[in-house]
Amino acid sequence: MGSRSSHAAKIPDVDSIRRETGFSQASLLRLYHRFRALDRTGKGYLSRLDLQQIEALAVNPLGDRIIDSFFPDGSLRLDFPGFVRVLAHFRPVDEEEDGNRDPKEPEPLNSRMNKLRFAFQLYDLDRDGKISRHEMLQVLRLMVGVQVTEEQLESIADRTVQEADEDGDGAVSFLEFTKSLEKMNIEQKMSIRILK
Amino acid sequence: MSHQLKNRGEEGDRSRRTPSMKRTRPAEKAPGRRRSQPGQKERAGGSPASGSPRRKQAERRGRRELLGDRERGSAEKTCGGRRKKDGRASLREQRAASKKEKEAQRKEEMWKQLKKHRSSSVASSTSSGESLSEEELARILEQVEDKKKLIASMRSKPWPMARKLAELREAQEFVEKYEGALGKGKGKRLYAYRMLMAKKWVKFKRDFDNFKTQCIPWEMKIKDIESHFGSSVASYFIFLRWMYGVNLVLFGLIFGLVIIPEVLMGMPYGSIPRKTVPRAEEEKAMDFSVLWDFEGYIKYSALFYGYYNNQRTIGWLRYRLPMAYFMVGVSVFGYSLMIVIRSMASNNQGSTSEGESDNFTFSFKMFTSWDYLIGNSDTADNKYASITTSFKESIVDEQESNKEENVHLTRFLRVLANFLIICCLCGSGYLIYFVVKRSQEFSKMQNVSWYERNEVEIVMSLLGMFCPPLFETIAALENYHPRIGLKWQLGRIFALFLGNLYTFLLALMDDVHLKLSNEETIKNITHWTLFHYYNSSGWNESVPRPPLHPADVPRGSCWETAVGIEFMRLTVSDMMVTYITILLGDFLRACFVRFMNYCWCWDLEAGFPSYAEFDISGNVLGLIFNQGMIWMGSFYAPGLVGINVLRLLTSMYFQCWAVMSSNVPHERVFKASRSNNFYMGLLLLVLFLSLLPVAYTIMSLPPSFDCGPFSGKNRMYDVIQETVENDFPTFLGKIFAFLANPGLIIPAILLMFLAIYYLNSVSKSLSRANAQLRKKIQALREVEKSHKSVKGRATPRDSEDTDKGNSKNGTQLTKEGTAHHPASQSQTLDQKAQGPGASSSASKTVLLASQHLPVSRAPGVRPDSGQARPQVHPWRSTSGKRAWRPPH
Repeated sequence: MGSRSSHAAKIPDVDSIRRETGFSQASLLRLYHRFRALDRTGKGYLSRLDLQQIEALAVNPLGDRIIDSFFPDGSLRLDFPGFVRVLAHFRPVDEEEDGNRDPKEPEPLNSRMNKLRFAFQLYDLDRDGKISRHEMLQVLRLMVGVQVTEEQLESIADRTVQEADEDGDGAVSFLEFTKSLEKMNIEQKMSIRILK
Repeated sequence: MSHQLKNRGEEGDRSRRTPSMKRTRPAEKAPGRRRSQPGQKERAGGSPASGSPRRKQAERRGRRELLGDRERGSAEKTCGGRRKKDGRASLREQRAASKKEKEAQRKEEMWKQLKKHRSSSVASSTSSGESLSEEELARILEQVEDKKKLIASMRSKPWPMARKLAELREAQEFVEKYEGALGKGKGKRLYAYRMLMAKKWVKFKRDFDNFKTQCIPWEMKIKDIESHFGSSVASYFIFLRWMYGVNLVLFGLIFGLVIIPEVLMGMPYGSIPRKTVPRAEEEKAMDFSVLWDFEGYIKYSALFYGYYNNQRTIGWLRYRLPMAYFMVGVSVFGYSLMIVIRSMASNNQGSTSEGESDNFTFSFKMFTSWDYLIGNSDTADNKYASITTSFKESIVDEQESNKEENVHLTRFLRVLANFLIICCLCGSGYLIYFVVKRSQEFSKMQNVSWYERNEVEIVMSLLGMFCPPLFETIAALENYHPRIGLKWQLGRIFALFLGNLYTFLLALMDDVHLKLSNEETIKNITHWTLFHYYNSSGWNESVPRPPLHPADVPRGSCWETAVGIEFMRLTVSDMMVTYITILLGDFLRACFVRFMNYCWCWDLEAGFPSYAEFDISGNVLGLIFNQGMIWMGSFYAPGLVGINVLRLLTSMYFQCWAVMSSNVPHERVFKASRSNNFYMGLLLLVLFLSLLPVAYTIMSLPPSFDCGPFSGKNRMYDVIQETVENDFPTFLGKIFAFLANPGLIIPAILLMFLAIYYLNSVSKSLSRANAQLRKKIQALREVEKSHKSVKGRATPRDSEDTDKGNSKNGTQLTKEGTAHHPASQSQTLDQKAQGPGASSSASKTVLLASQHLPVSRAPGVRPDSGQARPQVHPWRSTSGKRAWRPPH
């Protein structure tokens, strides 16, 4: 433990990252170690390939989408602040903070809205703010593979749209998405406890 | 103006936020106290299945606390002392709050600070796990002082008694718990030790829970099957597992109380005629073909009724074996009845709680079905399969509920199908009756052919082979949901199998009666032989003759053992047939389809033979009837249960393997009802049916004169009378005799009927009340929903929340919804009047807030919440600049 904390200083811009993401020093340290472990060649950033090596992501049908979400705007490099920023979505919600947070500051990355938005972006491929029927079908194909006929997949997608769609545009907007998941305990489900 | 409105909006927002904070806090309280475990809650959240009950509890507790707080807030208007904690507190200073309220705040703040401390220095808190910092000590000290004050002043509080009690108890508990932490040295160490222990205890409990889950036998296998074949196939395996458990208990009962005492303490093999192979059979008694038929040495072993002696007591323990034999026979039925009925009842209880309306089935499945914590590829494969299966199941349910058809046509078809099936059943019933009659004639005739001898079996197996598919074909007319269709199919095949049972029992009874009629003559022969042997002339009178060798004594046919052997044979042959069917019908077929597909004219996999589906109805009924055989036979063949345990065990592994290797999922995978009460109902019926013949033989047939534990008695149940007379004091015998008086039994039966009637009507009325309550909840939800949608429509929709700064307030709101706030609606209208440009963010705030009201909370629960709320946690102003304004 003691040897670890000596590395704390090595993280670039520790303070600004902490302010932005709300991570504690210790978790940042842990994440930094993880970051460096993932970065095999020691190049100082992560590439797509580095993330694809993670086994849990490899078995995940949406693994590629998740990796995509680490690389916004089509960039190919993921530096440590970016890495932490994405992971901050999964920080458990802390009531103490939203109780006395200055409203002028941007809301923390781990708020329910931002968690949901993260999930939403996994499904929203073209980032037009809507999950279209087509995008849904793609996800379904990833999730259930070839075992279900195309026709059935389409009926599932139609049904999902029908359930969630309120304004009748045939797609699920973010608002409708949040509404359909309003009973889901997102704060808890999309939290990883080690990222305190 | 808009600024003002925004401010007011935030008041509403604050009021809205508080309850959910309150709600989640208790969940955190426990780990908060035990400071050394950061993130207890989150760990529970990692596995939602295990964590959710705890969370619910916490939620409930939180709600209670919330109500209490409100009460506190409104009841107490006295001003209390002010406290300065830190910078934040200065905000609070601006208003006068009640003392009680302050206390709640302080407490809360402490938790906050504890947590803050924890989050800000995880490294230090994890490294110095159990020790306490000075700061914390001071805080706890302060709190303990507060609690003590509260205890002292409890008397003068204007609270209801119940609340006083609750508060007092809570305070005392707190003081007791934390006072130790404040002591110097020893107390502190004790506290640390207790913390450590508590932590260990929690960990142990969690590990133990995991262990318990791992101990459930075949859980992984069944889950595996469930993920590939759906819950309906899994329900068979769950039933099989349950049956295995029941049989294990029966096995323990019979082996522990009958077979093992007999083997250990009874007379050894060869000592008396009933324990010896007769001379005529001796040379073949060890041949495998004989043993395979349960003749020879096996027949004269402790596995069968005839082996047992009618000595009242055996061994140095003076174990009353005949009595034990009888009581075990009775308790096998007693236990089975009890366990079946109890599991039916518990299944029912489980089914009433599930009534959740599923509004967003597909959305939930689509967006949240993948478990992101899966890191193992096997698990991932299973998860794929189970997601697919659950989608399929939902599709079937969906199609079923959306089906719009001609009601009259459906009705007509169903009546027609039932008519056809009843015709089939009657026909096969008559056929069975006819064949049995014929076979009775054949049995009297000499030199009958092979076909004539086995006609009954052939007809029965033909019926069993062709009727179920026929029923299935006819059932296609009915167009039921497959779940209901399965039940009908089960019921119909059950009726068919009853014929099977009937013929079997009839043949057995004939056999028994034949043997009983011969018994008298054999008895005379035996007596005469023995008499002749001992009194024959030509033997030296001075030397007593050695007793006749037991193998030479002529003996009766012992119908009980014969019955036991029949059941034994039936069980084993049934098992063989099942396994061979699986091997040939499923495995070889699968192999053929799989490998011959490369060189065949048409597509075998998709075309004609294809792979077999798992036959749920056939397997379930096979299991149920097999169990009926066991129940009937175990009285006459105590070893039968042992065989059955082996059978169930092997069939668990064998069928699991066969299903996974050579079957394909059903075309329409459907969700089985979680409570397989239908299986249980059939099982209960079979249990009852199998109780009848056993009870008949025990009550009204005389036992064989020279074999079994009841030999020499007039009826089997005489053993009870004997025990009562010999082993109990006489007055007990009198009481028993009195109890057996019909004058007492008839009123008792009447009383039972009355009780059944009463309980039945009570349960009916309760379930009616239950249904009504459910309807009410549903209606409330509907009202709330429509309310929300009205409000949702009232606000402009064009404001897409892509703007981060704008959505900020909305986000805060959506995180914690609460009961409907009447002010917010009027506000919405106000803002609308202002125009969307000025107040788009505020209006969205309201929109989001209104959309995220938790549905589970009815608006009527706290009608005044909107007004009362800000008093409870007024310092939670999100703005540092704006002063808090009391609500008007």
